[in-house]
Amino acid sequence: MPRNPLCTPTDHRVTRRRFLGSAASAVGLSSLANPLVAEELKKQRRQVLFVWLDGGMSQLESWDPKPNTPFGGPFRPIQTAVPGIQISELLPQCAKQMKHLAIVRSVSTQDDSHSAGVERIQRGDPKNRGVTYPLLGSAVAKLVGPGDSGLPPYIWVKPMSGGFIYKDAGFLGPKYGALALGDGKPPENLLRPKAITAEEDNERNDLRKLLDKNYAAQRRTELTEANSYAYEMAAQLQKKIELFDLSKLPQKDQDRYGTHDLGRHMLLARRLLEEGVTFVKVTSYGWDTHGDHFNGAASLHPKFDKPFAAMIEDLADRGMLDNVLVIACAEFGRTPRINGHIGRDHWPQAWSVAMAGRGIKKGGVVAGKTNDKGTDVPNDPVDIGGLFHTWFRALGIDPTDAQYGNAGQPLPIAHEDMKAVKEVLA
Amino acid sequence: MPLRWTSLLLVLIASEGLRPRLAQAEEPLHARLDAFIEAKAKADGIPLSTPADDAEFVRRAYLDFAGRIPTAAETKAFLADTSADKRTKLLDKLLGGQEYATRMADLFNVMLLERLGDNPEWIKFLKESFEKNMPWDAMVKKMLRADPKETAQPGAAFWLAKRLENYGQNPVDYSGLTRDVGRIFLGKNLQCAECHDHLFIPDYKQQDFQGLHTFFKNTYLAKTVVGERPTVEKTPFASVFTKVQMATAPALPGAVMIDIPALTKGMEFSEQPDKKTGTPGVLKFSPLKEISERLPTKANADFTRNAANRLWFMLLGRGQVHPLDLHHSKNPASHPELLDLLASEFAGRNFDIKYLFREIALTKTYARSSKLPASANKAAPAQYFATAIERRLTAEQLLQSTLIATGSDPKSADTLRPKFVKAFANQAREPEEEFTPSLKAALFVLHDDAVLGLLAPKPGNLVERVAKLSDADTIDELYLAILSRKPSTDERTAITKVLAKHPDQRTEAVGRVAWALLASMEFGVNH
Repeated sequence: MPRNPLCTPTDHRVTRRRFLGSAASAVGLSSLANPLVAEELKKQRRQVLFVWLDGGMSQLESWDPKPNTPFGGPFRPIQTAVPGIQISELLPQCAKQMKHLAIVRSVSTQDDSHSAGVERIQRGDPKNRGVTYPLLGSAVAKLVGPGDSGLPPYIWVKPMSGGFIYKDAGFLGPKYGALALGDGKPPENLLRPKAITAEEDNERNDLRKLLDKNYAAQRRTELTEANSYAYEMAAQLQKKIELFDLSKLPQKDQDRYGTHDLGRHMLLARRLLEEGVTFVKVTSYGWDTHGDHFNGAASLHPKFDKPFAAMIEDLADRGMLDNVLVIACAEFGRTPRINGHIGRDHWPQAWSVAMAGRGIKKGGVVAGKTNDKGTDVPNDPVDIGGLFHTWFRALGIDPTDAQYGNAGQPLPIAHEDMKAVKEVLA
Repeated sequence: MPLRWTSLLLVLIASEGLRPRLAQAEEPLHARLDAFIEAKAKADGIPLSTPADDAEFVRRAYLDFAGRIPTAAETKAFLADTSADKRTKLLDKLLGGQEYATRMADLFNVMLLERLGDNPEWIKFLKESFEKNMPWDAMVKKMLRADPKETAQPGAAFWLAKRLENYGQNPVDYSGLTRDVGRIFLGKNLQCAECHDHLFIPDYKQQDFQGLHTFFKNTYLAKTVVGERPTVEKTPFASVFTKVQMATAPALPGAVMIDIPALTKGMEFSEQPDKKTGTPGVLKFSPLKEISERLPTKANADFTRNAANRLWFMLLGRGQVHPLDLHHSKNPASHPELLDLLASEFAGRNFDIKYLFREIALTKTYARSSKLPASANKAAPAQYFATAIERRLTAEQLLQSTLIATGSDPKSADTLRPKFVKAFANQAREPEEEFTPSLKAALFVLHDDAVLGLLAPKPGNLVERVAKLSDADTIDELYLAILSRKPSTDERTAITKVLAKHPDQRTEAVGRVAWALLASMEFGVNH
């Protein structure tokens, strides 16, 4: 009988810490020396790519076209690679990847404001229990763990500034916050100055650790743990500096993803996923097209279409769709009614979310539908809580069983009155 | 019979639970505050930490009232002082010292402006106020009035003016301004009551938000000063749930509406605005004047309790009511009588901030160690104040302390300040109330020349000076200069070993040891 390479006694202890232990204690461990174990760990990865189209992508010009209706707009639907499923002509590359995709067209959520909506959606809009719930990235970082990458479990690639966004973690605490890579660049001060050798760096850090250990020995330990975690993360990231140099990638990759922000950021996201980062969020801003919507969409949607389709294709080629759950989401869709500025406004009542990969049904699926004019979801609307159930299940986590513990208070990980969209689950 | 009464009385006096009430009349405020903390801990069986030792106390007091750690010489002098009242003397020296106003300007700037921006006039207003120990109600009155005709302290208006700027391409965030007035001056975050009564806090009504909002909705930024357009009618609003039409004049939360006088159109100003120069006019009915006279008063319990709670938080790391901006009946103070007393004493002393700080700093609660009690296997919940809570240092405290510790030129503060703020401050609009270690700060300490440059030997600086001493003296001096204490035996052993490895590059090795002390948790918090 072949032995499971994970189950030598010492390795088992280590991997349990990796998968179940806290991020702080696990990230410090470098890759395991045994290549067999490393390979096995890779197969067990559970990861998420979360593409966030901030401002709200129009469902009518993407996943749920309504041709020849009063609100349908000027764009036509096209056939996808899956017979019977049509999407907007603005997503031609995605149409080719349809066999990997699942679309939920019956999304209906509660908030039509950006300021509250972004966080509300990303927190899964649970019942209020007087605590601040984590955003999806922090939740997955907590529930799945840091994996075998040695990198922070939740990395956010976004335009503009970066930093460590601890607030995302809510009650889970700062260590589950996001490391944000502003414009995909490495964080400032990442590299050790040449004047300090590796030995000298170790020497000074060993002393720092000794001091912190002594300090924490008589005090509350949480702050020191969080502080050590920040330094551990700094050490791990320094080893991965080459990740940020996209110029070393084949020109073909850069062409396929595009050199625009979202293209470059998605390519970096692919590299981070290849490294085994648990949760990668990629944000694209500027989707709030209240005016001149159709010209806006004609320019915006291809910027999403190209890198998203390239990503799906690459993950499929590499066999990574078995491990990586891919989600394209926003805080709401856009109004079917076209306003006086030829724009579409905020519409949480009826919109679409696309997903692919780990735990998602293969072959191309559409779940749920909107009414003829696309204004409402007549049957079984799916709120974000239901999508959280779906995504957790896709990751192999049972949201009716798993709970967070917040200082003794058990908290459900997703809205307990909702359930998963079974049609899209494998 | 008489004998039995006497013994009953003795029992009553001896009973711990009664101490606070008995104490009230004759004892100073700080003793009465301690009595509440101790009584609750005792009742719930919570062990208290021992008093902080002198090294811990002197560091804490300097950070709080001078905005920096003590120099090695100051620490040594305090440790050597054998007088019984040396802690009181230290507090009085610091509260009366030159650095007090600068420290308070920093502390209050972070709380009031939340890193929205810098303005020299604003900092000048804060510094002058603390130099003169201006009462808190008077400071708030100036901030809320934001009078464009104020020439003595025009900086006071910056609190409001900054919030009336367009934020990127967004329109002026009047809702955010209303929220901030509620949060910072009244301890009530009414944000979620803008469109309906708060869903989970029954005390917070949509009327409260809208009434407060009505004071500010006609304010605008006239170049650099705050102007007001006439307020002639009530603000209509309706709950998004009930859709019932309501309307409100300016009103403080829970208070009656202010009458809006009926003025003929065109007659609203006693001094017309000048359209050419953009100078705002003077209104006959100014909601800003109204709120500046009505909000910061002894009669306004929201105002006094919020202020007392925030001052307590500043020195103890946690509010009596926590979070600081969620005062409501379902979120009572950890020690309700303590907060009542603190608020009434503060108001009774004409909002004398220095008096209140002094009394809080004289408590045994303030002077408790951050080390857990020997009998406790884990920390008691923070709301018992059983063990000193480690507090975040502002970027400015870290900068000043780093300069003091490394014996660097104080003038370098000007160039280093933006770098320290970038590394250690929160993003704008995020209160800096907790210690939150970050990758950004770790990388700054590890690799930025702003830190490493201070550890390179320069004539007279710490590293250059102590590297010439014997190992034992080098280590002692480093600890006193950076951590304000002496090293433990195992720390001394570990560092002696490191120094022994580098006989030829001793100065560089000393620099790395100094770095480790600067990068430690212990240096990075007020413990």
